[in-house]
Amino acid sequence: MDKRAYFLALPLLGLLGYLALGQHTLPEGPGKDLVLAKCQACHDIGLVARERLSRDRWDAVIEEMELQGLRLTKEEREAILDYLATYLGLTPPPEAPPDPGAQEPRTGAQVYAACSGCHGPQGEGNPPNFPPLRGHVEVLLKAEGGREYLALSVLFGVMGRITVLGQTYEGVMPGFTWLSDEEIALVLNHLASWGAPQGFKPYTPEEVKALRAKALTPEKVLEARRALKLP
Amino acid sequence: MERLDRRTTLKLMGMGAALLAAGPRAFAQQAPTADQLVRGKNPRLLVLSQRPVVLETPYDLLVTQPERTSKEILFIRNNVDLPGYNTVEGASLEGWKIEVGGLLDKPFTLEARELLALPQTEVAMVLQCSGNGRSLYNPRPSGNPWVRGGMGNVTFRGVRLKTLLESKGVKLGEKALFITAHASRQGGAPEFVRSVPIHALENALLALSMNGEPLAAVHGGPVRLVFPGYFGVNNVKWVERIEFADAENTTPEQMPRYRVPVIPNTHLPFLPQEPGSRYPYSFTNSRPNWLVNVNSFIFAPLEGQTVEGPYVRVEGVAFNDGIVPIVSVEVSTNGGRTWSRANLATQERTFSWVGWRTTLLLRSGQHEVMVRAWDAAGRSQPLDGNLAWNERGYEWNGVMRVKFNVA
Repeated sequence: MDKRAYFLALPLLGLLGYLALGQHTLPEGPGKDLVLAKCQACHDIGLVARERLSRDRWDAVIEEMELQGLRLTKEEREAILDYLATYLGLTPPPEAPPDPGAQEPRTGAQVYAACSGCHGPQGEGNPPNFPPLRGHVEVLLKAEGGREYLALSVLFGVMGRITVLGQTYEGVMPGFTWLSDEEIALVLNHLASWGAPQGFKPYTPEEVKALRAKALTPEKVLEARRALKLP
Repeated sequence: MERLDRRTTLKLMGMGAALLAAGPRAFAQQAPTADQLVRGKNPRLLVLSQRPVVLETPYDLLVTQPERTSKEILFIRNNVDLPGYNTVEGASLEGWKIEVGGLLDKPFTLEARELLALPQTEVAMVLQCSGNGRSLYNPRPSGNPWVRGGMGNVTFRGVRLKTLLESKGVKLGEKALFITAHASRQGGAPEFVRSVPIHALENALLALSMNGEPLAAVHGGPVRLVFPGYFGVNNVKWVERIEFADAENTTPEQMPRYRVPVIPNTHLPFLPQEPGSRYPYSFTNSRPNWLVNVNSFIFAPLEGQTVEGPYVRVEGVAFNDGIVPIVSVEVSTNGGRTWSRANLATQERTFSWVGWRTTLLLRSGQHEVMVRAWDAAGRSQPLDGNLAWNERGYEWNGVMRVKFNVA
């Protein structure tokens, strides 16, 4: 066989890997969770992750988003601008901080930052667009098939009309396939900590991995929800 | 390079798997394909954004349908997603209402299905995102990284807005200088509003079908307000309210989005922005992305292709805003020092793209061909499209260049 093929293929595979990894993930850094929380309420995080702009132009982008309804305190705005200008700027971002804390496994509450922009920091929801999770998740987990549905909805998103605690919602929830199995399990267990049936067994990464293989569309996930017997 | 044998392939696959496994997040990467996001779309479409849905037609796929772009491959640039509308099937007309108001003597509300009883008109037109070509600007402007697949040529059929107004016996006020259209907000969709100048009324169409089929829900069905000659963003999908107004609307989609810089208080000519800098967009120093600018594209040969020589057929399409005809398309094989004219399929005024072709005598080796179109108003394309660099990367129409090999 031809050894050159390896040398040609290696950078290619590296590039593909980089593109795959780079698609939806934000670099680690202070302010990342805030960016996730604020931006994902309205759009795909990929729109942010692939930009490389000067601080000035990031400032212009935030200004435009504020016109579109983004609400930020002065401190939040500063933190978001710092993050974007540093990690998605024109110069290569600094190395990940050697802070040992960064190496520690993430907690479910940290992963939940990706959800809080829409569903609220405490899962309180934001009617009429975003349903609450507090109370709602407990109902789901108690229903037959609800455990699986909850994981599917986080993985693949849900699209179409649903009724939650008496109110109708008809938004589009994106899928979070770009989170790892561990992260999905963490965030699901975080949701379950707000209320779960007696004897609830925590989600495991293996369980998430198996569900991920289903590769459903958000509309199929809606069908799964309709099949549940919810009160 | 030698052909890879089976064993090498297997080893490479193993290596690939190892590499993927090395990154704990790698297996998690399962970006959905276009057909998973929008039912009925070709899975090869490039997903630029999942939410809102933005899909680009790969250029090699676009050129396979040089006459008319089918709904399966037509690009999507949604600013708003209506839940349940992510399909190329038509959407139901039943219960769809359209309010028509503002500066006219008798505002009215219409049941969309009433449109079926009115005379129908058909128009073939280019639908092009004003961000098409954005990736060709340098430095890269912000926004979806369109290359050249943010366009298509389609045929809309429906009722002219003028015909509708006449059928209702409605007269416009003297101060009605703009048409403002609002998209449906069903399902809690965010607001989407665009204004175009009143002269767009001449050709405005309430489209019910595209390419002879019910208008795809994802492309604005059941009713889309179409302005031939205008950039895609103005053709409001799922139209719910039409207002005649004395000024442009002031929502973010009109200002600061979808605008390019101009000399203050004029709408022309274009004032180039320093590439990479920020621009303080206002109503007086910028204009909206309204009329499509002159553009031309090479459909064959494709970049990097090897073709038989010495006679090489070069072909493609050209278009403008449809106000005057495209009168010539020129190609150059020496970097723009000399140009020769191609044959045009028509010199009629049209909103559709116009085919052009020519045969070049080329010796074997690598060549670069450039193309530019001219219209009857004397408008053409810049050799260096970056002259028009703007912060958000709109309205690229730089001369297209394609490198290919002659065998």
